[in-house]
Amino acid sequence: MIDLFIALSPLLTVGFGGLLLMLAEALGKPANNTGMSPDGAVVVDAGAGRSEELGLLATVILFSGAASSMGVWLADPATLGVELVSPWLQVDRYSLFFSFILCISGGLCTLLGGGYLEEHKIDRGEFFTLVVFSTVGAIALGFAGDLLTVFVALETMSLGVYCMIGLRRSSPRAGEAALKYFLLGSFAAAIMMFGAALLYAATGHTDLAGIGAFVGGLGGEASGETAMVIVGMLLMLIGMAFKISAVPFHMWAPDAYEGAPTPTTSFMAAAVKTAAFAVLLRILLIAFGDPRLMSWGAGWPPVMACLSVLSMTIANVIAGRQSSVKRMLAYSSISHAGYLLMGVCAAMRLPEEASASVMFYLAGYCISTIGAFGALILCGSRGKEAVSYADLAGIGRRHPAAAAAFALFVISLAGMPPTAGFFGKLYVFRATIDAELYSLAIIGLLNSIVGAYYYMKVLVFMYMREPIPGAPIAIPMRSSMVVSALIIAAALVVAIGVLPGALLEMAAVAAAALS
Amino acid sequence: MNALRDAGIEMIPYLIAFVVGYLMPWRKEWFERFAVGSVAALSVAFVLGLWPDKAVEVAETRPEEWGHLLNLIVFLPLIAAIAVVFLPRQSPKLLKQFTMVVLGVDFLASLALLGVPMSEGWHFQYVTEWVPSLGIRYHVAIDGISVWLVLLSTLSTPIALHVSFGSIKKRTKELCFAFLMLHGAMMGAFVSLDLFLFFVFWELMLVPMILIIGIWGGVEKIKASYKFFLYTMAGSMMMLAAILYMAWVFHSIEGYWTFDYLALKRLVLPEDAAFWCFAGFALAFLIKVPMFPFHTWLPDAHVQAPTGGSIILAAVLLKLGTYGYIRFCMGMFEGPAWEASATLAGVAVAGGIFYGALCAWKQSDIKRLVAYSSVAHLGFVMLGLFSGTHAGVSGAIVQMINHGISTGALFLLVGVIYDRRHTRQIADFGGLAKVMPVYTALFVLVTMASVGVPGTNGFVGEFMVIMGTMVSDSLGRHATPAAVGASFGVILAALYMLSMVQRVFFGPLNNPKNEKLTDINSRELVAVAPLVALIFVFGLFPNILLSRMNDSVGATVRHLAEGRIAYEAHAGATTAKLRPKRGGPWEAGHPSPPQVADVAVALNAGADK
Repeated sequence: MIDLFIALSPLLTVGFGGLLLMLAEALGKPANNTGMSPDGAVVVDAGAGRSEELGLLATVILFSGAASSMGVWLADPATLGVELVSPWLQVDRYSLFFSFILCISGGLCTLLGGGYLEEHKIDRGEFFTLVVFSTVGAIALGFAGDLLTVFVALETMSLGVYCMIGLRRSSPRAGEAALKYFLLGSFAAAIMMFGAALLYAATGHTDLAGIGAFVGGLGGEASGETAMVIVGMLLMLIGMAFKISAVPFHMWAPDAYEGAPTPTTSFMAAAVKTAAFAVLLRILLIAFGDPRLMSWGAGWPPVMACLSVLSMTIANVIAGRQSSVKRMLAYSSISHAGYLLMGVCAAMRLPEEASASVMFYLAGYCISTIGAFGALILCGSRGKEAVSYADLAGIGRRHPAAAAAFALFVISLAGMPPTAGFFGKLYVFRATIDAELYSLAIIGLLNSIVGAYYYMKVLVFMYMREPIPGAPIAIPMRSSMVVSALIIAAALVVAIGVLPGALLEMAAVAAAALS
Repeated sequence: MNALRDAGIEMIPYLIAFVVGYLMPWRKEWFERFAVGSVAALSVAFVLGLWPDKAVEVAETRPEEWGHLLNLIVFLPLIAAIAVVFLPRQSPKLLKQFTMVVLGVDFLASLALLGVPMSEGWHFQYVTEWVPSLGIRYHVAIDGISVWLVLLSTLSTPIALHVSFGSIKKRTKELCFAFLMLHGAMMGAFVSLDLFLFFVFWELMLVPMILIIGIWGGVEKIKASYKFFLYTMAGSMMMLAAILYMAWVFHSIEGYWTFDYLALKRLVLPEDAAFWCFAGFALAFLIKVPMFPFHTWLPDAHVQAPTGGSIILAAVLLKLGTYGYIRFCMGMFEGPAWEASATLAGVAVAGGIFYGALCAWKQSDIKRLVAYSSVAHLGFVMLGLFSGTHAGVSGAIVQMINHGISTGALFLLVGVIYDRRHTRQIADFGGLAKVMPVYTALFVLVTMASVGVPGTNGFVGEFMVIMGTMVSDSLGRHATPAAVGASFGVILAALYMLSMVQRVFFGPLNNPKNEKLTDINSRELVAVAPLVALIFVFGLFPNILLSRMNDSVGATVRHLAEGRIAYEAHAGATTAKLRPKRGGPWEAGHPSPPQVADVAVALNAGADK
C-alpha cells in the first residue's frame, strides 16, 4: 500500500499541495492588511496582494511534484504495486515522463504568475490554486487508462483553466475569452463523452486496453460494432483535437489566448496541450492500436494527417499576418500542434520512435513557449504592455537582457540550433521520414520556413527597428520571479539543445513503456 | 594515495568553476559570492552529467597532429561569444580588444594547420560521441581543400571586424557577439564531417548574419535580411529532409544510426531517391553560392550590409556554398552530380558568368556592381566544379580563395569611400585619383586581381578553370562551348570593372564634394595590406595553394569517377545498396556499429519492426 502511495506521489504531492495552498490563501491576510484594493475602493479577496509568496509556494509544490515524478521514474513504477489502480490510472514511465513535463511547465507558469499578477493589479490568490489543481487534472490525464478517468481528468484540468482565463474580471475581453473557451470546451467534452458512450455500447469496455482487445477481435468485418467503434473514435478525436487546438477546431484558441492573462496563456499553450497529447497518444495506440485502424486506408492516420497539414499551414499563414505578438504566439502554438500531429501520424508505422519524438518535442516546446510568453511578460509593465510588434521596437537596444531571452525562445520555437526546439523538430521529422510519410514531412519542412518568417519578425522588431517617435513603447517590468522563470527556461532550452542525449533516452524509454 | 589523487583531479573542473564564480565581481558579501560559486560548480556538474559518457573514440591519430587543434579553432570564438555577453557594454574598448585578441589567437592557431603536409586522408581528425542515441557524432577533420577555406576565414574575420570598428560606433557588444558567433559557426561548418554537425553549424550562421545585416545595414536593411534569411532557410530545410532520408536508408541497411559523412558517402541510392537527395543538397548550396536564378538575395544583402558584413559574406559565407557542393554534392551523389553537370555548367556560364557580368556592367552603385561581379566570379568557380577534372576543380578552389581575397578587398575599399562620402553612386565620383592617389593605386591593383590579369591571383584560377573545362568528360560535347563562353566572360569582367574604375578614379574632378577627400588612413591600410600582399603571393606562387590541395583534389576527382561507375552499375534498381568500404586514409574515422545493447537500442527499436 505504501508502495502505491509512492507510485502515485506525483499526483498526491501536487493534489495535497493544492489543498495546502488553498488553506494558505484562505487563512492569510491580504498583504496590505486592510482588505482594500490599492485604490481603496473594493474589498479584495483573501490571498490578494500576496502573489509573490503564494506564487513561490505553488512553484515549490509543482517542482516537488516534478521531483517526485523523477523519483518514481528511477524507482521503476512497475515494482510499486500499481496494478491496484490499473486500468483507471496507469502509472508507468510514459505517464511519469508527462507528469514531469507538466509539473515543470506548471511551476514555470506560477513563477510567471507571481510577477505578472502583482504588476497588473490582478493579484488574486486563487490563480495559483487553480494552476495547481489544473496541473493535477493534467497529470491525471497523463495517467488515465480508462475513459472515465480520462473524462474526469479532462474536466478537472479544464475547469481550472476556464476560471484562470477570466481572472481579470473587469476586462470584457477576458470575459469573452473565458465564455468562448467554456462554451466550446463543454461542447467538445460532450462530443467526447458521446464518443465514449458509443465505444462502451459497442465494446462493453471503458478501459482502453479492453477496448483495444475487443476492436482487435472484431477482425475488421463490416458490422454494427465496427461502425460504432469508428464513429466513437472520430468523436473522441474531435474532442481531443479541440483541446490541442488543431485546425479546424482551433477557433477558440486565438481569442482565448489573447484575452487571458499571459501566465494563463502560457499554461494553456504548454500544459493543456501536453496533457491532451499524452492522452491522445495513449488512446490511439492502446484503444485503437489495431493494425487495421492504424492503416492508411481504414483508420485514424489520414484524419490525423489532414488535421496536421491544416493546422500547420493555416496557422502559419495566419500567424504571419498578425500584428499582435501574443496572437502570433497563439497561432504559433496551433502550428506546433500541427508538427506534433505529424509525429502522431508517424506512430502508425513506428509507434515507439514516433511517440518518443512527440514526447521529446513536447518537452522542448513547453519550455520554449512558456519562455516566449514569459519574455513577453517581462518586456511590458502595467499600462505599457508589450502587445504588438511595434511595442517591441528597439527593445534590443533599451533592454538587452529581456530581448536576448525573447530571441532565444523564439529561435527555439523556430527550430534553429543550439536550442531544444531544434532537436525536437529534427526528431519529429526523422520519425515522419522513417515512417515513409515523405509528403507530410516535406509539407512540414515548407511550413517551418513560413514559421521562420514570423519568428524572425520578432528579432527584426527587437533589434533592427526603432520605435516611431511618440508611439507608445513597452517598458519592461521588474520582477525577480519572472526573471528566475526565464533563467530556468533558458538554461533548460540551451541544455537540451546542446546535450539532448539524456532526455532523448528518457523519451525512448517512456515510449517503450506505452506499448 | 592514488585514489585520492584521482579524486583530486576529478574535482578540478568544479573547483575552477567555483573559483571563477566566487571571484566574479557581481556581489559584495562573501556568502553571496559563495552562492554564485556553488551555482557555477553545480552547473558544471550538470553539464558533465549530461555529457554522453561514451569514451572518446579517436580514429588513427597522426602523431604529429594535435587532435584538439580544430576544437580550439571552432570553439574558441563560440565560447568567446558567450563571454562577450557578460562583458560590460559600457566599455567598448575592452570589448573590441577582447574580440580582436580572440580572433588573432584563432588565426595563429589556424596557421598551425599549415605545419603538416596535406597528404592523402583526413588531418587533425577528432571524433567523439555527441548524441549516441541518434547516432550523431562530433566528427571534425580537414583536408587540403578545407584547410584553405579555414585559413581564408580566420584571416577575413579579423579584417572585417577591424574595418567594422572603424565605421560602426554603436552597439559594439552586439557586433562583437555576432562576429564571434558567425566566425565559430563558419569554422565549424568547414571542418564538420558529420552531416548533422554540419547542419547545426550551417543553421547557426544564419542568426548572426541577419543581425549584422539588419542592425548595422543600410536603408533597406530589413528587407535584405528577410530575403537572406528566407532564401537560406528554404534551402536548408530541403537539405535537412535529404539528410534525414539518407540516415534512414543507411539505418535500414546497416541497422544502426549514423549521420557520418564517411558512412553516408558509401550509399548508392536508386536513381529517383539519389536525384531528389542531390537536389535537396544542391538547392541549399546553389542558393548560398548563389547561382542564377537563386542569386537575387545577394545584391540586396551586399548593398545593405555594413562593409564588414559584406567582406565576410563575400569572402567566406558564399564559399560555404561552393565548399558544400564539392564536399557533399560531389562527394555523396557522384552519379546525379555527373549527370546534372552539363546542364548546370550551362547555367553557370549563361546565368552566372554572362548575365552576372552584364548586370554588373549596368549598375550605378559601386557596391552593387561588386556584388554582381561576385555572381560572375562564382560562376567560374561552379564551372570548374562541374567540369569534374583535376585542373578544373583545383582552379575552382584557387578561385574560391582568390575571390575571397580580391572581392573582400574590393568591398573594403568601397567601404572606405562610403565612409567619407556616404554615397556609392558612380556618378557622384570622378577623378578621385587626383585627391586619393594611394587609394586609387590600391583600388586599381585589386581590380586587376579581380579581372584576372596575369601575375595576380585571379589569373591562375580562371586559367585553370577554363583549361579544366575544355578537357572535361562530364560536360561531354558541351565542354568546348562552355570553355569558350567562360573565356569571353573574362573579357566582360575587364569591361565592367575597368569602366567603373575609369569613371570613378579618372577623368575630371568635377564634383566639388570630392575635392576635400582624404586619402586612405593607416587603419584602413592595415586592413587592406594583407589582402593586397596575398594577391601577389598567390599570383606569383600559386604552388603554395596547389601543392597542399593536390592530393585532396585528386581523391575528390577519383572518388567522383568511381562513385559514378557504381551508380551507373546500380541503375534500374529500386533499393539502395552500400558500397564496400574503400579503406585507407579517406575512410579513417568511419563509424562502427554500436557495440553495447543499451537504451539507444530501445530508442531505435521502433524502426526495426
